[in-house]
Amino acid sequence: MTALEEETQVTDTPTALAEPGGPETPQAAPAAGAMLVFESVSKVYDPNVVALEAASFVIEKGEFVFLVGPSGSGKSTLIRLLLKEIEPTTGRIVIGGRDLGRLPHRKVPQLRRNVGCVFQDFKLLSDRTASENVAYALKVQGESRNAIRRKVPEVLGLVGLNHKSNSYPDELSGGEQQRVSIARAFVNHPPLLVCDEPTGNLDPDTSVGIMQLLYRINRSGTTILMATHDREMVDKMRRRVIALEDGRIARDERRGGYASE
Amino acid sequence: MLGEAVRSIGANLSTTVAATMTVLIGMFLLGLVIAFATYARSWSDDVKAGLVVKVFHDRDATPQQVNAVRVMLEKNPHVDQNRIEFVSAEEGLAQMRRERPDLFGTDLPYNPLGPAWTVYPTKAEYVQEIADAIGQGTKASPYPAGVHNVTYGKEKAKRILKVANIINAIFGIAVLVLLSAAAILIANTIRLSIFARRREIEVMKLVGATNWFVRGPFMLEGLICGLVGSLVAVILLFVSKEAVLPSLLPRLTSDPSVQALAFWLNALILLGLGLLLGAAGSGLTLRRFLRV
Repeated sequence: MTALEEETQVTDTPTALAEPGGPETPQAAPAAGAMLVFESVSKVYDPNVVALEAASFVIEKGEFVFLVGPSGSGKSTLIRLLLKEIEPTTGRIVIGGRDLGRLPHRKVPQLRRNVGCVFQDFKLLSDRTASENVAYALKVQGESRNAIRRKVPEVLGLVGLNHKSNSYPDELSGGEQQRVSIARAFVNHPPLLVCDEPTGNLDPDTSVGIMQLLYRINRSGTTILMATHDREMVDKMRRRVIALEDGRIARDERRGGYASE
Repeated sequence: MLGEAVRSIGANLSTTVAATMTVLIGMFLLGLVIAFATYARSWSDDVKAGLVVKVFHDRDATPQQVNAVRVMLEKNPHVDQNRIEFVSAEEGLAQMRRERPDLFGTDLPYNPLGPAWTVYPTKAEYVQEIADAIGQGTKASPYPAGVHNVTYGKEKAKRILKVANIINAIFGIAVLVLLSAAAILIANTIRLSIFARRREIEVMKLVGATNWFVRGPFMLEGLICGLVGSLVAVILLFVSKEAVLPSLLPRLTSDPSVQALAFWLNALILLGLGLLLGAAGSGLTLRRFLRV
């Protein structure tokens, strides 16, 4: 552990965690620049299964944050909470200044257009080509045909898949499918990109490519929250790490590794 | 939206065909039953309309006695007041001559008939009550003075009413059973086809599609399935009607007042039901899967 990688133990006050970060994380004032705020959020599933307990943290605009922890530690619950797939039992979640608790159900689609999602299993529509999959994310918000025709090749170029735009998901390799799914998540240029184990199904070499792509997207100003089991990747990238254990935040380090050191 | 619906029909051809076939079969059977049920009902109504009460006076009944019966009939609520027909002795004889010419080989020395009343009930089921109301006298002379007989085709009327009721009940139940069977079958087929695509729906919701953006193409698809299925059913019904009815009809009845429900009306009901089942079926089934 280098001197720069100073460990910040979890405290209950979210503002305490929102100190200015390293050079890669452009910062603004915590209140104004916060991309994502969790304020003592708990989620208890029906027969008293506590999936998340009093989780509090602030993620600033432009940050790259790893969410680590063993299976069942609450990572997926946290991600489903911020997509408003499920509601927290207690606590408050604010994304880009919007309080999710006060967001009416009919506004949820709009929230999701502003939060790009990348999943371990890619979640591509199997009967659509790569470019149609990307176009779908634009179609749902009523983009014009011209805009779609312009934006789709652009973002497919960004992920390096212009030559595969007419291929169906089952004609693409895992890494390529994940690139399509990143393209779909990013085509709206959402301020926040949430990735749930994006490299979980990929071999190490392909994973590096995906991480480089995410890194480039982060450099363009997009906040990235990435849940992962990829120890090597987390240790190599040395970014902020939030570690969950049994539903609690066990660790929140400015430039951490996969495991506490 | 139409584009999305058409592409989804193309992409899920087998389930779409299954749903359409279900609509087709359901609507075809329903159309058949509706045709038979309305025909049977019309036939039983026609037969029931022939049920009348006849009051025969003595040959020497006085005008006062005849009038007394008229007053009695006019007071009876079960009697159709517009159809109390007086049949004079001469008319009665002429009528009999027409109906049974074999009885009149020689000229009669005198008219053996007295005047009579033909009484129509407001409902066929009331014939017995009307007859009983007239014949309330003692056993030795059951009828009022000047009346020698009251008939309503006792056994025949009972049998006709019984058969008509059974026919109505059977066809009513058949329509209900078929309608619910068709609805359940169609809803199930649509459910299967949507269940097969629940992942797709989940993805759509996760990239920010509104419920209506997801539901629209599915409902349109259901609508198209319902329309095509019921349209083909109507065409099949029409073809079988044209092919079978001409040889079947003469054996049933020659009475032109016995009619099944008009074909165009039956077709309209089937098309409407097909559309409704298709769209509502997919719309309702989707609700479960939209909660993502």
